[in-house]
Amino acid sequence: MSPSPSRRAVLGGLGLGLAACPFSLGLARAETAPQAPALTAAPQAGASSASDRIAPQGRFQAGIVTPRPAWGLVAAFDVIVDTPADLERLFRRLTDRIAFLTSGGTVPELDPALPPADSGILGPELRPDALTVTLALGASLFDAHPWLGPLRPAQLTRMTGFPNDALNPDLCHGDLAIQICANTQETIIHALRDLIKNLPDQLVLRWKQEGNVPVIAPQAPGVVESARNFLGFRDGSANPDSADAALMERVLWVHDAAEPAWAKDGSYMAVRLIRNFVERWDRTPLAEQERIFGRTRITGAPLDKRDGTEADVPDYAADPEGAATPLDSHIRLANPRDAGERHLMLRRPFNYSNGVTKSGQLDQGLLFIAWQASLTDGFLAAQTRLNGEPLEEYIKPVGGGYFFALPGFGPGPDDYLGRQLIDAIGHAPQKT
Amino acid sequence: MKMLSLAATLAVLATPLAAADATLDLVAPIAEYKLYVSENTEALVTDTQAFVAAVKAGEIDKAKALFAPTRLSYEKIEPVAELFADLDAPIDARADDYEKAEADPAFTGFHRLEYALWVEGKTDHVTAVADKLEADVTELAKRIDGLTFPPAVVVGGASVLMDEVAATKISGEEDRYSRTDLWDFQGNFDGAKKIVDLFGPMVEDRDFVASVEGNFAKVYETLDKYREGEGFVSYEKLTDEDRKRLSALVNTLAEDLSTLRARLGLS
Repeated sequence: MSPSPSRRAVLGGLGLGLAACPFSLGLARAETAPQAPALTAAPQAGASSASDRIAPQGRFQAGIVTPRPAWGLVAAFDVIVDTPADLERLFRRLTDRIAFLTSGGTVPELDPALPPADSGILGPELRPDALTVTLALGASLFDAHPWLGPLRPAQLTRMTGFPNDALNPDLCHGDLAIQICANTQETIIHALRDLIKNLPDQLVLRWKQEGNVPVIAPQAPGVVESARNFLGFRDGSANPDSADAALMERVLWVHDAAEPAWAKDGSYMAVRLIRNFVERWDRTPLAEQERIFGRTRITGAPLDKRDGTEADVPDYAADPEGAATPLDSHIRLANPRDAGERHLMLRRPFNYSNGVTKSGQLDQGLLFIAWQASLTDGFLAAQTRLNGEPLEEYIKPVGGGYFFALPGFGPGPDDYLGRQLIDAIGHAPQKT
Repeated sequence: MKMLSLAATLAVLATPLAAADATLDLVAPIAEYKLYVSENTEALVTDTQAFVAAVKAGEIDKAKALFAPTRLSYEKIEPVAELFADLDAPIDARADDYEKAEADPAFTGFHRLEYALWVEGKTDHVTAVADKLEADVTELAKRIDGLTFPPAVVVGGASVLMDEVAATKISGEEDRYSRTDLWDFQGNFDGAKKIVDLFGPMVEDRDFVASVEGNFAKVYETLDKYREGEGFVSYEKLTDEDRKRLSALVNTLAEDLSTLRARLGLS
């Protein structure tokens, strides 16, 4: 494939990337209290713009510590590859599209006798709109090819059901997960349709879930509120500070000796489609809802500091019997705050609202996305502790999967997402 | 797997692909295509008569054996079904096209009889449906000679059919009672490929044609794995892996063939 004019324009404009991004982490930090979570803060009205640009290049992929915009989706694909060259071609084509979509530009005009080059839903001029496109590989891809199997990240497995799960096979797993986030719904849908149209020979869509988080009114300087989920509670209050690069090195980015070398600077992605039984929840007394979560509904303050804020840290040592924060409350089980950083993960979820079930109930829930350096210590440990929690009566995980986000890629014209893996295949002993 | 994505290549093309006043002579291939449709329609009438006779005689096994082979010639001419849309619905509509599904009195044609044969296991209540099917295909055959075949419809029909396979056939919903979907696939691919065979030689971009032909070859390679006797094994035998591959091939063909009209100067 020859480089298109738009591709050249993208490469020429790379320098603008981070500097032009109003979401730049430093800025978000400067305005917040030291403990305030920035990443899952509710987007504030008027703070985002279609010209927000998040460069896809970097040591890590964009879309992981990038502050969460209002819209996001995960689409899982099966990929058609037989050889390492096929996989390289897939990665290079995806990188090309990502570079184009995240920088924006003019949609090529074709002979009107042809189908148009672009869906047109954003008009003739694409604006970046804080778009990020993040690629993560599933275990099935590694298992399908003898030349890839030995390079599978050490903890990457096929998701298996937890006791409260009711997994729908049509909503689970995939060779490749693509997370797409942006300020608006039309931008993420545009990007998804672009990828599907341009790579029909290598990508077969398995499932897709999009969601959003509520945009709130502009807040006073220094005030940061986590966005609410569809149960009405703030979600993300205890997230580790994504602007703390040193912390993220430990919590998020893979550099363990047990991992294949190519995987350095990648991250494990746990995706869960968690249906919320909202009708039942709305019939539950508020005090019980708060005990189930361990936080107050209005402010998100922990129950032992009811007049505080969501940024306050509960003191479980002072409450060994769970008189204030029940021992089986969601936040206490999910994060007992007794293991330092070992079990931390970075949650970056979106709310989804899909339609109506056969019983005439709303199909709403959480597109749960969590990132971590160790799937075992992160999501798996947390979910294992949560098994049997009272919240289970109101939620039902129905889909998702575990994936491994590729390391980032550089601005050089020949770098691309997945290059580290392709290079590693080249160096691996070939089985014939 | 080496498949050129022509859609992707095309995305960088901004110049017209063919002169507006196409000097391409489409008369001969259109005439030949019409002959192809006519031959298949004749076969359809003959085969349907035998199928309907078996249905009306209550010969369930015989009727079941004739179902898929009879449909084959209809599936081959499906690229131009929009030229006889009023007959396509009563001949080939599916239960989902009707609000009351299988119970809907408007549900007729092949799939209503398929439901009677495989699910209800009797045919005495559908003799009127059988008669109507025979009358509809006979009417179709009568019409073909007098029907105008606009080149844009014929050429566009190839990608429309691939779209349809991608949208509502690869899932195995067409022949859901009999699981004879792979026969229909064969008919649809034959019908779309016939158009490429006839009009492909006039396309300037030979890489494009080679890639489309390569993808058809891969489709047939996959279908060949499931041949049995004169036809195919049950759709349930199709592995997930092959279904995925067929899906990717069909979508790639749909994208690529969606440019065929423009490549021939048709709008």
